Amino acid sequence: MNIAASILEIAVIGLGIAVMLADLWLPREKKIWLGYAAAAGLALILFGSFSMSGNPATLAFGDMYILDAFALFFKRFFLIAAILVMIVSIEYSPKFQTGKGEYFTLVLFALAGMMFSASANHFALLFVSMELMTITFYVLTSFLRNQLLSLEAGIKYLILGALSSGFLVYGIALVYGTTSTMDFATLREKSALMTDNPLLLVGLLMIIGGLGFKIAAFPFQFWAPDVYQGSPSSTTAFLAVGSKAAGFALLMRLLFVAVPEITLQWEKLLMVIAGITILYGNLCALPQRNLKRLLGYSSIANAGYLMMGIAAMSASGSTAILYYLYSYMFTVIAAFLIIILVMKHTGAEDIVHLAKLHERAPGLAGVMTLSMVSLAGIPPLAGFFGKFLLFEAVIEQATVQSSYYLLAAVAIVGVVISLYYYFGVIRTIYWGKQQMIPEDIQISPASKAALWVCSVVIIYLGIMPERLMQAATAAVESLKF
Amino acid sequence: MEALLFYIFSALTLVCGFLVVANPLTRNPVTSAMFLVLTIISMAGLFVLLNAFFLAAVQIMVYAGAVIVLFLFVIMLLDIHEVEKQPVNYFSVTVGMLALLSIGGVLIKAIVTSGVGDGLEAVTVGSTKKLGLSLFTDYVLPFEIMGVLLLVGMIGVILLSKKTLR
Repeated sequence: MNIAASILEIAVIGLGIAVMLADLWLPREKKIWLGYAAAAGLALILFGSFSMSGNPATLAFGDMYILDAFALFFKRFFLIAAILVMIVSIEYSPKFQTGKGEYFTLVLFALAGMMFSASANHFALLFVSMELMTITFYVLTSFLRNQLLSLEAGIKYLILGALSSGFLVYGIALVYGTTSTMDFATLREKSALMTDNPLLLVGLLMIIGGLGFKIAAFPFQFWAPDVYQGSPSSTTAFLAVGSKAAGFALLMRLLFVAVPEITLQWEKLLMVIAGITILYGNLCALPQRNLKRLLGYSSIANAGYLMMGIAAMSASGSTAILYYLYSYMFTVIAAFLIIILVMKHTGAEDIVHLAKLHERAPGLAGVMTLSMVSLAGIPPLAGFFGKFLLFEAVIEQATVQSSYYLLAAVAIVGVVISLYYYFGVIRTIYWGKQQMIPEDIQISPASKAALWVCSVVIIYLGIMPERLMQAATAAVESLKF
Repeated sequence: MEALLFYIFSALTLVCGFLVVANPLTRNPVTSAMFLVLTIISMAGLFVLLNAFFLAAVQIMVYAGAVIVLFLFVIMLLDIHEVEKQPVNYFSVTVGMLALLSIGGVLIKAIVTSGVGDGLEAVTVGSTKKLGLSLFTDYVLPFEIMGVLLLVGMIGVILLSKKTLR
């Protein structure tokens, strides 16, 4: 046993319990400080993670837990995401009538689940960490319990999530039944000899279904728009960034480390999933009037772009995924933070509420424009470079297998469609008609800092991608392509 | 003998499971819950045949006992006559049947063609002692994470069901 390898997760869980206990003794009006304390604690843990190295890989808990460059890359990703989400939650927390401290605690526990899932090298750990994340999200989505939409989101996420977990477990059982192992390293050897065993393939397909639910890929995407719209905006931001990234981390480790030989047979399947997800997300986003719902469909489309990197089945494809996730995180969190700041007192988050934002708060309008432009993939921002890398990885494969050209073409169509609705948001900001008396927008220093960080990183990653590219390339090396 | 018992228990599981979701005689949710108890008990029988005695006992005590009692409480607190009056949605029934048949077809084909169990040795892992040992040695990490998960569950239930918001 090597407990030191999982020190980051232990620290996060410890922080969660500390926040929960501190919540007991703090008077009501001071609970907001718990959020700041949690964010500061996470920053410390993130800082500490740089003293760890994933090279060479450390195995712990009977080879169940692996700490390699890939896992460490994702752990830092989740930590950064959680720090930003914590600031978003503080901004949102006046809407909670009760349980501010518990909200921060639950965010930390969900983070622990994500970080464990990045290190999963065994189906048991994969399932348990996934459930820790998902079950925490059931509570986080229905946190506004006096609002019908939030409860509806919670119930929908609970029922569909439970169903997908059922498929995941059944798939794991079938894989265990055919190979008699749940360990990824052993599975790698055994599955290479059983590439045409139908029961093993069915089991793996079910596992992909279970993970596909988490990343909201077609045909497991039905929950996304409703849940994104109904849940508290801070939860939605965490769901869009963290849950999706955890799903991709697990999917990549499963497909490329545990069953690489079988994955090679599935290029068509992965391409079809990627293509349909892109088209579905982008086409359904077109008529949306609600900003959170729009971002929900956009997150489906982005899952499709990310699936392109999986379908490319190459080191460059996986590097592109890691890069893209970073650019997606900063743009989406910036967008949700602005939604919360601008629409504090409006009931629904309709796009029209953004009208004439540039007169009320030019800074916010600028950041929102930046994030929409980055999501649309316009150079020189981070989103452009991420999409560029994904397209490059797909085109690279097209020289071997020409059907990849078709996937690239579909993705380009998707990007063109997405220009329409992303620019629709920008058009509303600058030229939209104001419908009601505008409310004052007050920005706390922490939110201001978070917005600054997000916008600087969006520009920085687009202009100087080398540093992150190096880290992503090093991380992907541990996937053994 | 074992084979015969296996067929009896699995047939019972299937029939009762079917009656939970689609009972032709009544749409009373309480009947469904009682059939769920029967399904769970016959599944416990299957676990016994697999030498998983602990799991069988837990299945009966926790699921057939505690969980179903909770189910019944919830059902009785709600107005079941409302549910009975609701018309059957034939569209969702048809789609559900189609999904069931296609997944079932794929699974059955896979089971028939793959030669299940070829080359596997029988291992007895279900005894309580072995289960406890592996829970606290090989599987200690997932076990501890389950502890956090239970804590999350408790926080969630208290938050969502607390009567007064303060």
